[in-house]
Amino acid sequence: MADPQPPQRAARIAEQDEAELVVRAAAGDRAAFGVLVERYAGVARRVARAVLGNPEDADDAAQDAMLSALVKLDQYDARRPFGPWLLRIVANAATDRRRRRTVRRVEPLDAGLTAGGPRPDTTAERRALGERLRQALAELPERRRVAVVLFDVEGYSHAEIAAVLGIPEGTVRSEVFHARRRLRALLADWKEEA
Amino acid sequence: MKEPLPFDHRPDTVLGEELRRALDPGDAASFVARVLARAAEARVASWDAVLARWARPGVAAAVLVALAAGYLVGRASAAPAPRPSVYDALMAPPAHPGEVDIVLASVIGN
Repeated sequence: MADPQPPQRAARIAEQDEAELVVRAAAGDRAAFGVLVERYAGVARRVARAVLGNPEDADDAAQDAMLSALVKLDQYDARRPFGPWLLRIVANAATDRRRRRTVRRVEPLDAGLTAGGPRPDTTAERRALGERLRQALAELPERRRVAVVLFDVEGYSHAEIAAVLGIPEGTVRSEVFHARRRLRALLADWKEEA
Repeated sequence: MKEPLPFDHRPDTVLGEELRRALDPGDAASFVARVLARAAEARVASWDAVLARWARPGVAAAVLVALAAGYLVGRASAAPAPRPSVYDALMAPPAHPGEVDIVLASVIGN
């Protein structure tokens, strides 16, 4: 099934019914919890993957975080947006898992891939670009990775990302800036070489 | 690609789209199904845990209630018969009817 969320501001979901969904889910309404899981599955998995790299680990972390959130729903402050609250749990779960797991490094990319390649017009080329981006992302500090994914992929504001990461807003701006600089350079190289 | 502006406040749609594609986990349906299945298991487990947590105090409370009830029932059956009231004593038939006749005869005879 394709991710139902739009590409930009995917997590900026209308919040008027979200508080009610959370209340119902906390009261044991499985359908309400299901709606929340469907809404946030995509962003949760992407954030976890940005932290962990490995997609299986990321899914496990996202799942653990969703279940942990279900248990903690009574602690959620309904006056605040649900997304950042959940994503903080996701980011923490992914970070914990990364710390716990045995060293399982991402396979090194071959030299041709890291040195650039043709314009990503075909599926294989696009896959290669994706691999390069993931590799570049993995080289960034963890906080920077999450910040740029939440800002440029998910459309969260600096303030919301600050809440997710538990850092000042100015630090988020800095992290996004540095991450972008690295990733944009990679994309630019790719296109120039093409 | 345009030169990145320092501290640009708007999301970079080009970079965002490429990153989104790179991080796309795919197969959302099976992930959601897996999470919901685990949530259902966790809910059952949590009920079991709640019941288990309450089992011991519940048994202890039941034993206490049974002991208290047994004590009250035993105490009630062992209590002495109530003392007769003055009314009961006067209205009860005499144990020795002859004594009354003697008393009456002596009174009438006098």
